[in-house]
Amino acid sequence: MGTLLIVLTYFAYVFIVAVYAFKVAKWMRMPMHIRWDLYPVIHEEHYRYGGSYYEQQEWWTKPRPKNTGRSLWYSLKDNFYMGEYYKRNRLYWLFLLPWHLGFIFIILFHILCFFAAISMTFGLTIAAASPSLTGKIFYGILLLTGGIAFVGGTFGSVGMPIIKLADRGLRTYAMPMNFFNYLFFLLVYGSGLLSWILIDPTLAEYRTYWVGLVTLTPPELNPAAIFHIIMFDIFLIYLPFTRSTHYITRILAYFFIRWDDEPNLPGSAMEKQINGLLQQKLSWEGAHIPSGKSWAEAATSSGLPETKKDKA
Amino acid sequence: MTRKTTIKDFSRPGGQVAEIDSADLMPLPPPYDQIAKPPIRKLTEDQLRRMDASLDGVAAIGIALPATPEEEKIFIEKFLAGLEKLFTAENNWTFLQPLVHTLEYCVKCQICSDACPTYLASGRQDIYRPTMRAEILRRIISTYIKKENPLLRKFKASDIQLNAQTIIRLGELAYRCTLCRRCAQVCLLGCDNALITREIRKIFSQQMGIAPKEIHEKGSVHQIKVGSSTGMTPPALTNILEFIEEEIEEKTGKKIKIPVDKKGAEILLLHNAGEFIAWPENLEAFAILFDAAGIDWTISSDLAGYDAVNYGVWYDDVQFARVALLHAQAAKKLGVRKISLGECGHAHKAMIVIADRILTGDLNIPRESAIPLMEEIVLSGKIKLDPSRNNFPVTLHDPCNMVRLMGIVQPQRRILEKICPQFREMTPHGVENYCCGGGSGFAITQSTNFPDWRSSVSGRMKLKQTLDAFQDVPGPEIKKYVCAPCSNCKGQYREMFNYYDVWKKSGIFYGGLVELIVNAMTDLKEPFIQWEWH
Repeated sequence: MGTLLIVLTYFAYVFIVAVYAFKVAKWMRMPMHIRWDLYPVIHEEHYRYGGSYYEQQEWWTKPRPKNTGRSLWYSLKDNFYMGEYYKRNRLYWLFLLPWHLGFIFIILFHILCFFAAISMTFGLTIAAASPSLTGKIFYGILLLTGGIAFVGGTFGSVGMPIIKLADRGLRTYAMPMNFFNYLFFLLVYGSGLLSWILIDPTLAEYRTYWVGLVTLTPPELNPAAIFHIIMFDIFLIYLPFTRSTHYITRILAYFFIRWDDEPNLPGSAMEKQINGLLQQKLSWEGAHIPSGKSWAEAATSSGLPETKKDKA
Repeated sequence: MTRKTTIKDFSRPGGQVAEIDSADLMPLPPPYDQIAKPPIRKLTEDQLRRMDASLDGVAAIGIALPATPEEEKIFIEKFLAGLEKLFTAENNWTFLQPLVHTLEYCVKCQICSDACPTYLASGRQDIYRPTMRAEILRRIISTYIKKENPLLRKFKASDIQLNAQTIIRLGELAYRCTLCRRCAQVCLLGCDNALITREIRKIFSQQMGIAPKEIHEKGSVHQIKVGSSTGMTPPALTNILEFIEEEIEEKTGKKIKIPVDKKGAEILLLHNAGEFIAWPENLEAFAILFDAAGIDWTISSDLAGYDAVNYGVWYDDVQFARVALLHAQAAKKLGVRKISLGECGHAHKAMIVIADRILTGDLNIPRESAIPLMEEIVLSGKIKLDPSRNNFPVTLHDPCNMVRLMGIVQPQRRILEKICPQFREMTPHGVENYCCGGGSGFAITQSTNFPDWRSSVSGRMKLKQTLDAFQDVPGPEIKKYVCAPCSNCKGQYREMFNYYDVWKKSGIFYGGLVELIVNAMTDLKEPFIQWEWH
């Protein structure tokens, strides 16, 4: 069983990283689009009220300071708050936030377990009674992240189907897959919660498991912990088939669509790229569009009926 | 009343998917809560024979149902072919990434619904949820483009039965969203259901050749053909400018020659040509202000060079690019240093922002809004202004294209704070403003009963907001001014105020920003704003 766990876990991690990477690469590979920015743009100097560099005369002659750090912080912090939901649908937020915190913290918990295992192989004791302060802090953080993951995830997985059925708007767009997900995630978080409460209050089983993974030594674990770990591995394999990549793509969308206010300055690399895109051939069939011609040719033609006739 | 609508209703042959009942609409403040007339007139039998109105009893495009099963098959195939093209880089590099992102990552959480003024004002009609169009499109893609396994489709609830009426209803639904993008602003996942609206309009126009005639045939096509969507030709422009010069002299005693085709001028000023015809006082005020401030500017008489509108921004990328190119060519021909956009929101967004990734080389001429220039004139003290001349209640409408979609928020406020002692904000305002209800071409769409819908539903939130801003002075005895620095928004205000008789009932007038500046100029003997309802 221990060997199976090791193989399954490695496969699950490689799989999720590979599929997520593929999805992100596919997203990024799409061609540059027309500007479609939406304010406030958080890296802008006047982001507080939604102001842009267009508020200045001859903006192209002025510096355009960008605070990318602020944008990054803004896009990440909302994962832990979900402010718009709090403002607009508080009951939904009550379940949605813990459900999402379950996702974030269970991943964080396992990443921390990995580092804990590395530290343990170097002799660090991770426990409440560890002689090392680092070991005590590590223990506390693991307990906190694991606890939030199991409690939040379980609470959210129970509440989400209820709110999904109770709210008219959500119900209209609900699909069987949503309810399958809630049930499956309940198994994942709930098994972790039960194992934690009933069998493994210090979450030591996970450290043992991760030491086994790091040292490639099949671990001996409690059946409850094994069940949860298998569930979690399947969860990792299943996630890429859901919309979960939105944890990453939402940030990409903020940076590369909503906040993309980069102007096309004469002689810039962007201008060259646009010239390339304008050479692509379009095949729209509206009567006013010269199908088979390039965008540049279509834009410089009038599309008026007589013109089409003349060309024919 | 069929308020609870599901996506299956869109596939149901015959009948209406939803009905707009005046009793359900968002309440308005008194005395407008007492208006007894039905909000939306029924289409005539003749109209119903010619166009399908089975979405909500309203026709913006007015598409005829195919007469035979063969015609229906061709109609559906054409739509599906267009839908496929949306996902190819060659045909849709312009919006592929935001389109794919929204379709793949929206979780349909409905947060955007509560941000949509049309949905709220309609009394929360399900069909107007911003997610509705995207979800129908998503299901068509799953069933007819990707042809996903039926079991998977059941699991994902992505099945849909397609018939001509489903497509027509979807097309009409794409013209029930003003593209204000308030929905996108609140989306935590960066999805944009307003963009989906525009992409659906693109399939209809670019592939099927279907669009509201005011926007396409009488709009962008007319502009490319004769120079302006208003039908104004270059010789007609000359006549109108002469009239405007006479008007200026009559009102102010000033003899101002409006510069036309002045080679090498600093600024090419692009106005929405609707101003020339409907609100010439706006152009007059620009001429008076620029003359007083010693600005080196010109108007172009070239094809489309005197009409800033670019309706393509609402429905068609190719038409958009054509008009943007004509604007840039007019500026290039005159050798101006920059293009400045007058008070027209969509023209701002179209020419300054969206055309930015269309115009290259010597057509990539610097472009900016005229509002920061107006701010500079006002705040610099170049001209003498007396705020007491504007001592009446003033509120500001934020045109979506200029504010939420471009971030021009404060210059107009700094002007108003300087020259209007009774300036007050609407709630909410700035980038969180509500659309006037006439966005994305609605203000110019006059077909059938669409204007009733526009005044009753899409403009309702703005009307309420405007009335609320003046709730301390509700009666008609105190004249009030809504400053709407956008032709389209002014058009919507005019229609909506006429519909509800707002001028008579509440004494609220609408107009631009530059008129308020000129009204405060001390060297004018008479007030520039004449409070004549038109």
